[in-house]
Amino acid sequence: MKFDDKIPIYYQIKNYIYGRIITGKLVPGEKIPAVRQLAVDLTVNVNTVQRALSELISEGILESKRGLGNFVTEDQAAINQVRHKMIMEQLHAMYENLHNLNVTDDEIVQYLRQYIKDRRTNKDDQHN
Amino acid sequence: MTNTIEISNLTYHKNYKSILEDINLNIEQGKTVGLLGENGAGKTTLMRLIAGLAKGAHGTIKIAGQDAVAAKKAVVSFSEQLDGFNPSIRIEKIISFYEDVYPDFSVDRYNQVAGFLQIDEGLRLSALSKGMKEKLVIGLTLSRDTKVYLLDEPFGGIDSMSRKKIIQSIIKWKAPDAVIVVSDHYVSEISSILDEVVIIKDRRIYTQKSAEEIRSQYAEGIEQYYESIYEGNDMDD
Repeated sequence: MKFDDKIPIYYQIKNYIYGRIITGKLVPGEKIPAVRQLAVDLTVNVNTVQRALSELISEGILESKRGLGNFVTEDQAAINQVRHKMIMEQLHAMYENLHNLNVTDDEIVQYLRQYIKDRRTNKDDQHN
Repeated sequence: MTNTIEISNLTYHKNYKSILEDINLNIEQGKTVGLLGENGAGKTTLMRLIAGLAKGAHGTIKIAGQDAVAAKKAVVSFSEQLDGFNPSIRIEKIISFYEDVYPDFSVDRYNQVAGFLQIDEGLRLSALSKGMKEKLVIGLTLSRDTKVYLLDEPFGGIDSMSRKKIIQSIIKWKAPDAVIVVSDHYVSEISSILDEVVIIKDRRIYTQKSAEEIRSQYAEGIEQYYESIYEGNDMDD
């Protein structure tokens, strides 16, 4: 994984793990790699990984079991909440960016509909 | 947190020329620190002073509370460039030399690091490529069991795959309470493993900052922040 050096790395590690959980690459109850292994895999500082994991634990996304390691929560409601949060963040960024270009709310909806329609057609084209 | 390195009022002159002026620096236990600065800024000199390899400075340097040179040498592992060895020496001989000289050198650990970095011990020192020699230096440096590891520009002129391997070995074999200081004049590759950066400019410590703080406070990369200091755009003003 490549990090953006302008954004705190612990934050990017959190988003990376959220993403793995939301997309099902990490399933509820699954053990995540040890701190040092994660640090080596992601080429980041152990303390930074530790900070990200501590926050995920206090948010209830990960569960720390003494002596056993860290596990993905089995609380589906918590996972849904994270998914919702991630979606809202993306929407928020898109909305802000378009508003900064003086695009109105109605136009945003219209463009988004058209965009999705186009993407679907393109996808169908690719399959044919 | 306890400080592993404590430097106060350090000044170093060589042949009447000022090399370092009024250095005050504390580094906490367990931190990985990037020591950044232009060539000639005094990075290597500072490291050699910390390691007890350069003498004649004014001021104090304490490592894990110890002030005496012999005591410091026992708790600091410095990335020697192996210049003192005959170029025709075989790598395995260098390893036995380290084992003899440093009671804390672990052959077991060396073999693990060397296996990871794929170092060929059968070769002679003169036959090593730049990248391979750097890997050997890192392997030897990390295989001592000390409080402080000083890696002086470990990435000079080597390919990106070797660089990545070296960085991974630093993460993999760093003891939780050990301090690692890595000096470099360009940072993008190591910035993700740093807790802090210390920038030397004009023979002085210009700043010491947490890497994550630079990212969150200035929305800048470490490289950018460092360059802005050298270009004179002081972000603190």
